[in-house]
Amino acid sequence: METLLKRAIFWRKWVVPTKYRQILTILVLIVLLYIGGGTVVPGFLSLEQVLLTLKLAAFIALFGLCQMIVIVAGGSGLDLSVGYMATLTAVLTASVMDGRNEYLWLALLIAFALGALVGLANGVLTSYLRLPPLVVTLAMADILQGIVNAYVAGKAITGRPSPILVILSARLTGVFPNILYVLIPVAFVATLVFQKTKWGQILFGVGANERTAYLCGINVRKVRCLTFVASSILASLIGLLLLGNMGIAFKDMGSNYVMPSIAAVVVGGVPLSGGGGNYLGVILGSVFLQALTNLLTALGLGDAGKWLGFGIILFAMLSIYASNRQRR
Amino acid sequence: MEVMQKRTVFPVVFLRNAFLQPETSGLIMFGILFGITAFLQKNFFETKSIVRTINSCAPLVLLAMGQAVVVISGGIDLSSGAALSLFTCILTTVMKQNDPITGVYALLVTFLVALGTGMINGLGIGYLRIPPVIVTFATSYAWLGIALFLRPTPGGESVPWFRVFYNMRVVEGIPETLRVFGTYIPPALLLIIGACLLWYLVSKTRVGRYIYAVGSNIESAYVSGINTGKTQMFACLINAICIFLAALFFVGQNQTGDARMGGPLTLRSIAAVVVGGIALAGGRGSVYMAIVGALILNFVGRIIFFANIPNAYQTLVSGIIVIAAIAGPAYATLKRELH
Repeated sequence: METLLKRAIFWRKWVVPTKYRQILTILVLIVLLYIGGGTVVPGFLSLEQVLLTLKLAAFIALFGLCQMIVIVAGGSGLDLSVGYMATLTAVLTASVMDGRNEYLWLALLIAFALGALVGLANGVLTSYLRLPPLVVTLAMADILQGIVNAYVAGKAITGRPSPILVILSARLTGVFPNILYVLIPVAFVATLVFQKTKWGQILFGVGANERTAYLCGINVRKVRCLTFVASSILASLIGLLLLGNMGIAFKDMGSNYVMPSIAAVVVGGVPLSGGGGNYLGVILGSVFLQALTNLLTALGLGDAGKWLGFGIILFAMLSIYASNRQRR
Repeated sequence: MEVMQKRTVFPVVFLRNAFLQPETSGLIMFGILFGITAFLQKNFFETKSIVRTINSCAPLVLLAMGQAVVVISGGIDLSSGAALSLFTCILTTVMKQNDPITGVYALLVTFLVALGTGMINGLGIGYLRIPPVIVTFATSYAWLGIALFLRPTPGGESVPWFRVFYNMRVVEGIPETLRVFGTYIPPALLLIIGACLLWYLVSKTRVGRYIYAVGSNIESAYVSGINTGKTQMFACLINAICIFLAALFFVGQNQTGDARMGGPLTLRSIAAVVVGGIALAGGRGSVYMAIVGALILNFVGRIIFFANIPNAYQTLVSGIIVIAAIAGPAYATLKRELH
């Protein structure tokens, strides 16, 4: 019996390399979810429904990239301000663009500058003053929300996104959502940067072992500070895409993405201690979470079921990874 | 030589050290803000006004005390606001307005649920050793989800006698002595005293010491034979009881439950803990200073109100205060280390 088990473990290594086991686990989870959903809810397996899920999941996956960059660099980094960063950018740029393409460059510039500013504030506070990232970014989310509230209090939010943004994020080509044309290159570039470039090596090195990275001459603080800048700039740009998808800007448009973005990263197998993980896993994690949300909505459980489900799944995944870590 | 030098400038060094102690600076800040508020608010020292002040900060004080215990034990609780909302929803769901006995059931059920939430957080933080931030982030959404199931919109009903937790005078059918007692000491203060008593008793036991030991260095605490998982679980349970007391006050005051009311209180409770001079790294600080921290935040809010800053700016200002409150001491330590 024991030898049989040993042999099974031996063969498992060859059939599924360790590197891809995590991704395979999520794929199996997604398939199970779809089989379960397909039997309970008619039409859950239709092509349109699946593609719609992918479209909504793309936004979670993009926010997941922000989160992943910060988490991979370690130091218990998390960025809870991404949702309000996106909201703020969307609210401020809507009136600049006002449904025209001419001012898209200005909107992009504003998004970039705002993101860099907020990210720099997050980064300096967390890595140079050594404050807990969670509290800083949570307070930053409050500040950004406060700015949005103050802006909204004076006047109504006016303006519409430029047509290019609408085409990019809201429209479909046939049945294929255009946002995937954004996500696929982003995923490709992110994976390339993470795995093939020096920056990726430094990022993962800092997360895996801070001390070793420091002794190798890497400025750990600067790297961690820059991850927050990158995260905020990305979140700010996603704010433009969100605006394109929704057509109008409103107060809470981005805040609902904070929890899913972290959950997607955890479900996608990125260790919260940093230094590991794969963006493909994060994308699959987003698809899983979005499919779950759709299923719960179809079952009539709505918001309550969504948040409860996300909470339980995040807790369960964390427990599983924690027990794996202890066994080693 | 060095000793001699120190002795000669003893008063100066003493004063400077005293000021650099986070607790003293917290108390001084409290004194200044207290003075400003008392100056701005004309009837500040009237009985009614004092009761109103206590009532307005009671939930935050209770949440901050619970948060302080968890932070000292080396954790952090991002779910305390969501837990508060959940408890109010459970209380108002179990209670039926015309049936006084349902109030007792509600108390029992909610207390058990409170212990349950504390245990789940404690399980994640203490036994599974997942980073506290992310465990309680996950559970906060679980609590929000359950609360939304029970109460998609704010509402619900409450038995009339539940008002004893807010104002004893308006409750009918309670003994006259209790009523007179209630006019002198507001119930909110009693709840806070209850929480203080709980922590006082715990801090006199071995577990109270363990909480500090685990928070300051979990490895050495473990090696010294302390059951670290149990200790952190215990801290989470105390936190849950504090949140439960806050929920009693909230339902007594409003007679309704609301699944989203507690959300903003989480960050404020963490801010109160930081302002009270409790290290977020754990193991240092006093739980009672969390009360001072909560009062400081409350007074700042009042001063903002008196300064005629529109309501829309409240979130912005409170966010800035939190950043300033934690960045200030960190900057001071950084400068001291550089010297």
